[in-house]
Amino acid sequence: MSPSISETRRDFLKQLRGASIAAMAAGAPQFVRGADLRHPNAKADTCILLWMGGGMAAPDTFDPKHYEPFKVGLPVKDVGSTFPSIDTAVDGIQITKGLEHIANVMDRGTLIRSHVQPDLGHILHSRHQYHWHTGYVPPQTVAAPHVGAWMSKVLGPRNPAIPAFIDIGQRIEGVGEQEELKAFHTGGFFGTEYGPFLLPYPDQAMDAVRPPEGMTPGRFADRYKFYKDLIAKSPTGKQGSAYQQESMLRAMDNAHRLLSSPERVAFDLSEEPKEIYDKYNTGRFGLGCLLARRLTESGARFIEVTTEYVPFLHWDTHEKGHTTLARLKREIDQPIAQLVLDLEARGLLDRTLVVVASEFSRDMIIEGVPGSNARDQASSKVDLLTEMKHYGQHRHFTGGSSVMMFGGGVKRGHLYGDTADERPFIATKDPVSVSDLHATIFHAMGISSETAFDVEERPFYATEDGKGHPHLGIFA
Amino acid sequence: MILLRTLIPALGLLITASVSRAQSVDFSHDVLPLLRSHCVKCHADGTYKGGFSIDTREALLVSESVLHGNAAESPLVHLLKETEDEDRMPQKADPLPSESIAILEAWINEGLVWEEGFTFKESTWVALLAPRRPILPDVGALGSHPIDRLVSAYFTEHELAPPSGLSDQAFYRRVSLDLLGLLPNPDAVDVFVETTSPNKRRLLIDGLLDQSVDYADHWLTFWNDLLRNDYKGTGFIDGGRKQITEWLYKSLVENKPYDVFARELISPTEASEGFVKGIQWRGNVNASQRREVQFAQNISQVFLGENMKCASCHDSFINDWKLTDAYGLAAIVAEEPLEIHRCDKPTGQFAKAQFPFPELGDIDATKPKPERLQQTAALMTSPENGRFARTIINRLWQRLLGRGLVEPVDMMSNEPWDADLLDFLAVHLMDSNYDLKKTIALITSSRSYQSHAVERHLGPAEEFHFQGPTAKRLTAEQFVDALWKITGQAPEKVAAKGADKSDRSFVRASLVDSSYLMRALGRPNREQIVTVRPEDLSTLQALELNNGKEFSELLAKGAGSLLERFPEANADMLIVEIYRQALSREPTPDELQQVSPLFEGPATPESVADLLWTVFLLPEFQILP
Repeated sequence: MSPSISETRRDFLKQLRGASIAAMAAGAPQFVRGADLRHPNAKADTCILLWMGGGMAAPDTFDPKHYEPFKVGLPVKDVGSTFPSIDTAVDGIQITKGLEHIANVMDRGTLIRSHVQPDLGHILHSRHQYHWHTGYVPPQTVAAPHVGAWMSKVLGPRNPAIPAFIDIGQRIEGVGEQEELKAFHTGGFFGTEYGPFLLPYPDQAMDAVRPPEGMTPGRFADRYKFYKDLIAKSPTGKQGSAYQQESMLRAMDNAHRLLSSPERVAFDLSEEPKEIYDKYNTGRFGLGCLLARRLTESGARFIEVTTEYVPFLHWDTHEKGHTTLARLKREIDQPIAQLVLDLEARGLLDRTLVVVASEFSRDMIIEGVPGSNARDQASSKVDLLTEMKHYGQHRHFTGGSSVMMFGGGVKRGHLYGDTADERPFIATKDPVSVSDLHATIFHAMGISSETAFDVEERPFYATEDGKGHPHLGIFA
Repeated sequence: MILLRTLIPALGLLITASVSRAQSVDFSHDVLPLLRSHCVKCHADGTYKGGFSIDTREALLVSESVLHGNAAESPLVHLLKETEDEDRMPQKADPLPSESIAILEAWINEGLVWEEGFTFKESTWVALLAPRRPILPDVGALGSHPIDRLVSAYFTEHELAPPSGLSDQAFYRRVSLDLLGLLPNPDAVDVFVETTSPNKRRLLIDGLLDQSVDYADHWLTFWNDLLRNDYKGTGFIDGGRKQITEWLYKSLVENKPYDVFARELISPTEASEGFVKGIQWRGNVNASQRREVQFAQNISQVFLGENMKCASCHDSFINDWKLTDAYGLAAIVAEEPLEIHRCDKPTGQFAKAQFPFPELGDIDATKPKPERLQQTAALMTSPENGRFARTIINRLWQRLLGRGLVEPVDMMSNEPWDADLLDFLAVHLMDSNYDLKKTIALITSSRSYQSHAVERHLGPAEEFHFQGPTAKRLTAEQFVDALWKITGQAPEKVAAKGADKSDRSFVRASLVDSSYLMRALGRPNREQIVTVRPEDLSTLQALELNNGKEFSELLAKGAGSLLERFPEANADMLIVEIYRQALSREPTPDELQQVSPLFEGPATPESVADLLWTVFLLPEFQILP
């Protein structure tokens, strides 16, 4: 069954030619080992990452532990969860109160309870988020690309008119730790071509793809035509660098294609029927889910929708954890479930991987993992509950967090991994590291975790050192 | 290797797996040592017994001695397992142990993974450390300027035609953008064109370089990138990082000699210590990113054009730097004994403070840190250290002519396309007391610089031949400065400390915090050293330029202010003015005819904004020919 020598050689030479064409984009990072790397067969065409920025406490969301209602004088150590558990559509899988809609679609997905993060000492959201989004713990000697940039670079856009990597809901400026956020919301060494198309306000997404404010479509179209005509008249013509000029005009054409394509209506949430819009409209995150669905239908490759990371807000509960999570659950529960149902109804769920994840979990007591030198950052350090603000998961926990996955070839109604019943709630079965989780996501998308590009003459891998292993047990 | 042995029984399974799986053998760690000890002597680097070469992966595959992914049918494997001594490889030697053969089989089955760019063929090029004073060749086709004499000789040797020369207008525009980052004033260009003095280009260069504030405003960008200095950024949030802006800006205005400049960075005062201090992240960091190792990486990259990033973790596979070299440099700045970590694991060995080129001299490890840093600064700027001058020469040449004499600019041990030229410029810099303005003046006054740009070289680096300057795209700062200058929309407040007291016609982009527009155009987050920015316009950048809020608002306001400044102007006058400002030339009749219909009736803010947009987006505007 082995190929003949000449066949092997022919293949090799063909690949070699392919590689040298890629190398034509001089200066661009080049594939390493393009000739022998084998990508898995893609199970999904689009990946939607629903990001619970700030550290989603597993015991209060997807991994219920011993529940104790708030009571003055109750020892904190006696509380596992601050929400009671509820049944889901799957026998044997329980999650916590407030996630009833997601509970109802549990039979469409796999719940991972054993996601773990490294102990980086003093815990910073920005470092863990950088790690989660790029696969590399900062600082790094080169600018590491976001996972979305990897998909954009390796897989390219599904629809040339829709940017391959879209990021919904995160403001970069003016919300704190902006520099830290910028560091991983980037195409990294792949360059801006592969960076995120940022849409901080989903209901204003249309503004990003229409002519500038105050400019009619007619004027916009005329301006471009005028531009092209004027280039044709330029006396310098192609003197200098035809390559650079052509590459510049190609980028302009790409941009203009998006700004004048019929597909851009996907960015316009006002096109959505009111009853659907209302089902998603729990705020910016909910509308982000709706936008993600529309963009998936139109051919986006990778979409991240975030509840938005703002220091000490949302999932970043250093106090008032319970009351904050009750609100957050209202914001995420129905939109996530609706997104899954809508994708399913449109026949898209099989080829779309939806991932709900966060940089780590939280705990009532333990900062980091047992034995870590991480400094306690809870705002109020009490042993006995006296006020409601003490009731919640106020420490950052890296020993076991939950990830939900739907579609994209993952098992339906499946529970993967486990955490201890008693504190510390560390992963006890099938731990999934960040590298492995990425390898699993890349696997679904048809990207080998060993994919590497040459940066400063050394290989830089899709998962750290190419060592991420997909957890194949997650897939059907 | 130990890992491998335990894996061998499972190899059969791995081979048949068609989806991504871990490589069980690693080229550098497992395969390379075998090839080196058993094959290289007869089949590599010029000796190819039996016509068989293993210099590169390609050579190996072309030989058909190995079948990609199929060890069982690879002739090489049969030769290794041959029982007849006479026919077995390696010849006249013991058979390879079976586990070594298993490694090679696994390697073949897994697709002969090879270290990108690795070859057994030794490069004959050895980069000199000492300065060298080449003899200038006779005057050639390009003229008597020393650079041109060297480049003419290079052209003759390689049978290349010299590029055509730039017009006065094009020269003025290029040199103004290269030296000051600014578009020239159109009237000044007119006067220059009309001047008949044969020496006028040199006079212009000197005049521009004398504009020390504009010069500093422009070169601040280059140095901020190179020294990863910024006014905002990661690390500042909790005091883990310190700016050197005030010191840097002052040094540029004063045109501080480059050796003094480097000494003050390496052996710093409080004002310049931010560079060697690096960035301290909260929490635990990988050993290769602790501040001492950052120091080693940064000092070697910035001043010596050497990459010690690999060697910060383990002996490098891509160059000759060893883990001990990186740690030797790191130990200079360590406050206490520095334990060497290999791949983040302590080795029990402690680093000995050492300069990366010990032939230049020793660091006395018994002395306290400030003295060790002084010694380092002295060795770095020692007259024997030609690499120090060559590295900055190469960076300047790259900035001014679009491509380095040595590429990549951070691999200074690579062969330059003309070693005499590099060495000549380096010695010239040393002879000029490290006055960088003198180097810039020398380069830009050459006919080689004053030539039309040629097509960018897209093939393999070793096939590059210099044929003239390469076109460069405007940097984010140059682009934004041009916008602000023409539209009169520059901000009022300077963020760069120390730069706020100088007189200038408008606040420059380099002096303010990065904006979304600047980031979109390639101004980097300065967490890592950036020596070369990407040249191509990306789609996301183009989108930003098509409908981005910041750019659109700037154009709208700028159009308004242009109409205010030229209330009498008719459409043609405005068009001519914008062309002169932006492109340093008047529109051709053809272009005028094309543009005029935009102004049916009087010029409106909309039509002016659209004209501005069009001109700013012209390749002629953004790409320096």
